[in-house]
Amino acid sequence: MFRRPHQCRQLGGEFHHFLRLTTARPCLTQDNGFVSSAGYVHEEETHLIEQIRAKARELLESGRVSCVIGYEAATRGGTRPAFIYDPDGVDRLVWNRECYANLTTFLHDKKKPARRGEEVPNVAIMTKPCDSRAINLLLSEGQISRDKVYIIGLACGGMMAEGNLQAPCLRCNVRIPVLYDTLIGDPPDIDVTDDFEDLAELEGMSAEERLQFWLREFDRCIRCYACRQACPGCYCNVCEFDRDDSLWIGMQIELPQKYFFHTFRAMHLAGRCVECNECERVCPMDIPLSLLNRKLVKEVSELLGHRGGMTTDPVPFVTILADGEVSLI
Amino acid sequence: MMFMSHSSLTAWLDELAGERTLIAPRDVGRGHIHLRPVAGSSEITLEYDRPDLSAKEFLFPHTERLMQVEKRSDQVTLHDRFLEKGQVVFGLRPCDAHGLVALDALFRDREPADAHYTRRRQKTALVGIACPQMWESCFCTSLGGAPDDPTHLDVLLTAVEGGYAVQPVTNQGEALLASAAIEEVTDLSLPDIPRNEQVPVLAADQWPAHFDQEYWSRLGERCLSCKLCTFVCPTCRCFDLRDEPVASRTDLVLIERMRVWDACTAPNYRTIAGGHNSRPLKGQRIRNRYYCKFCYYPKDFGPLGCVGCGRCIDVCPVNIDIVEMLNTVYAMHQERDTVEAEAET
Amino acid sequence: MSDNGSNPMRPYVGRLAGTKELATEIRLFQIELQEPAGKAAFANYRPGQFAFVSAFGSGEAPFGITSIPGRGDLLEFAVQRHPHGKTTNGLHRLDVGDPVGVRGPLGNWFAMDEIQGKDILVLGGGIGGAPLRPVISTILDNRDEYGKTTILWAARTPSLLIFTDEYDAWRAAPRTELHLTVDQRPPDWREGNEGLITTLLENVGPSPENTITITCGPPIMIHFVTLSLRKLGFTLDQMLVTLEGRMHCGIGKCGRCNLGDIFVCADGPVFYHSQVAKLLESFL
Ligand code: SF4
Ligand code: SF4
Ligand code: FES
Repeated sequence: MFRRPHQCRQLGGEFHHFLRLTTARPCLTQDNGFVSSAGYVHEEETHLIEQIRAKARELLESGRVSCVIGYEAATRGGTRPAFIYDPDGVDRLVWNRECYANLTTFLHDKKKPARRGEEVPNVAIMTKPCDSRAINLLLSEGQISRDKVYIIGLACGGMMAEGNLQAPCLRCNVRIPVLYDTLIGDPPDIDVTDDFEDLAELEGMSAEERLQFWLREFDRCIRCYACRQACPGCYCNVCEFDRDDSLWIGMQIELPQKYFFHTFRAMHLAGRCVECNECERVCPMDIPLSLLNRKLVKEVSELLGHRGGMTTDPVPFVTILADGEVSLI
Repeated sequence: MMFMSHSSLTAWLDELAGERTLIAPRDVGRGHIHLRPVAGSSEITLEYDRPDLSAKEFLFPHTERLMQVEKRSDQVTLHDRFLEKGQVVFGLRPCDAHGLVALDALFRDREPADAHYTRRRQKTALVGIACPQMWESCFCTSLGGAPDDPTHLDVLLTAVEGGYAVQPVTNQGEALLASAAIEEVTDLSLPDIPRNEQVPVLAADQWPAHFDQEYWSRLGERCLSCKLCTFVCPTCRCFDLRDEPVASRTDLVLIERMRVWDACTAPNYRTIAGGHNSRPLKGQRIRNRYYCKFCYYPKDFGPLGCVGCGRCIDVCPVNIDIVEMLNTVYAMHQERDTVEAEAET
Repeated sequence: MSDNGSNPMRPYVGRLAGTKELATEIRLFQIELQEPAGKAAFANYRPGQFAFVSAFGSGEAPFGITSIPGRGDLLEFAVQRHPHGKTTNGLHRLDVGDPVGVRGPLGNWFAMDEIQGKDILVLGGGIGGAPLRPVISTILDNRDEYGKTTILWAARTPSLLIFTDEYDAWRAAPRTELHLTVDQRPPDWREGNEGLITTLLENVGPSPENTITITCGPPIMIHFVTLSLRKLGFTLDQMLVTLEGRMHCGIGKCGRCNLGDIFVCADGPVFYHSQVAKLLESFL
């Protein structure tokens, strides 16, 4: 989106390097299924989008699904989530290096029938490798059933901003979705190991320095809850922070409350965070939320060998009730 | 035309900071500029487009302590909490000041007047800086504003070679400038700021016809139900009220009753105690936000609830774009007119 | 409209003078205002108006005033405790003698003098009956001014019926009928009928002629009662409703309670159904 600060966190180099887009990007027409970002053009993608559209059309026409959740061109460059119900609408779909959003969050909206008396809808969803882990998470927590979701898996070479690969993509080593029904594209031949290099600087700080670092970051937070709303793992019916009778936290939009909100949310996502970076992407204040969540990812994976959403194994912290129901607390 | 050099501006701001709370654009990290209280001119940054949040937060702060309740055994005493010290908001943009017109109409001019807002308004002076350009998402000129509009400010500064052109607007502005080193310059002309394309906006009474369009549920589908667009908006004013404990001893309990920002876009905005939610769908909520701005607000209070600052466009993570919405609703209206005209012939 | 030091958000301090269990988890709070300004503000409140009651530390919430002026000095509110409601829990924890706050009186009221001479049909569901009690009291206190009065009173179970100890007085009044109904009747309960209030309404079958209906209850009940009333031949301008909804300020500022361009708190809560039907948005 225009002037939306995109994070270009480079490995090594400067700890955080942010670039702000200052020039207007070309406005797209709806049928121009391809967005070029700062001159970046990826040849194959034009035929990939044809494959995606054909698949979407087939699924809608056959009645296999009633809705395809995908990407379409946004108004001022970039892409945005799209919900396609009509086979003729599939031409709106795009697939390019600016499909940042994690669409799996919207699966929560499809858990219930649209109208009383109807069935839970079948949906298809364009799913990047990182986002696919969220589907495993939702499956492991009994949120969705596998047969209701048709996964259009996308092989992914990373998302770009300002001509550079985004930082999370630089360390990402899942090149194809961890589960899918159909796979579009060939996995690019990229071999990286995620060594949590991004945490090194923070881990090198003293406790006091770290506190100061986070307080300075949280100071900008406006408690808009975009991070929580965008997160596929944040789906409590009534969030602790929305409860009228919360004993934990006041409603003040002030530093202690913001600090508490973020640490609380991070804890609730420990072992569940799928590292899609969506919370950090949507944050209007560029608070590096992924650093916080990734620290816990690292701890949980080192201590318990669990990494959120890699499989449908539930996170080690849940209680499994006698009837098989999964409780997060 | 009056002129103030950079150094005079610095001196003036430092002096203002001595006598009142000076609120000015400050770099708060990662390239974000917020209006924040500053100790002096050295903390101010003058390189910014629009501050992330509007000046609203100093008239209608995100957390306003309305009163303190002091509870001793079975006695309670209520202590009103009001802004005491005067404040100057420096560096706000003309659209920020325009936004206060909407808040004035609701909080101050509509009976019963809100005591806290009214007090803050009285104690606040607004020194704006004209926008050097209209940024891509700006459409203030479609809603009666302009990047160089002095109307709702006390003083407007415009960057020119070597300093600022100074336009006092109100008596309060004149008084504020009394201590500033200003020169009278004859050959000073203000820059011409190119205007963005006009966005068509329907009149308040044209909106109801489009309330039941399917468009709203389609638009709502990608909405995340966060509070972002409303928090950055200079006119959105939904709030919540809470009691929060501050101190508790056996003989004394201190409680603050506070008003905090809320948003009609949030999922549980309308959930009542029994659990019933009268606006359960995202499309209904986003529609309410826009209807509030363009239909209800002008009908109920006079001014529009949007000043075209474009902030909500820039921050929305899923590209819910108010300009696209306005264009779409306008197109729907045109189409309806055509259908009606055809039906008549 | 409250006017306390010209700060409309400031409650008047009072004391909890007494409580009474009305039904399961529903308690009547009797409040004695202490500040002279508070007494003055509440000297002339009307049936249908509401006020915010504060349990200091837990917050404030709006409740229909269930007492009537002239019948004693105490303000009365019926408060249902909700499991996650901070304020209603806070209120239920109070002891007699504890300080409370009251902000109001707010909103419009039932114009009781305008409906004199008419037959009145009162429909109350659950806690929604609370703001109707002053309506009934006004009619009974001025019995000759009003025509036949039929009260249909409903709740999910007998233990949720409110103001049970006033039923005898209501029944005893001339030209006044009381019909009770509960969703599911326990075998030992004989006082009334079983089924929804709409079933009861259709069984009683009141005539629309020269009649005004007054309904208060959850949105879903108002919705279905309206359908039944229309079946019986009532028109929308014969139907008065009092709406409840989420409210935070009560004075048209916070935006919480809007139905399209009106505010339930400041333009209501009492409406003719014909007005509600014209609104862009309605939760009925
Ligand atoms: S999205 Fe950013 S500003 Fe909003 S609540 Fe989350 S961290 Fe705070
Ligand atoms: S453009 Fe958006 S943020 Fe700005 S005044 Fe209008 S609605 Fe508010
Ligand atoms: S309760 Fe605040 S506007 Fe009605």
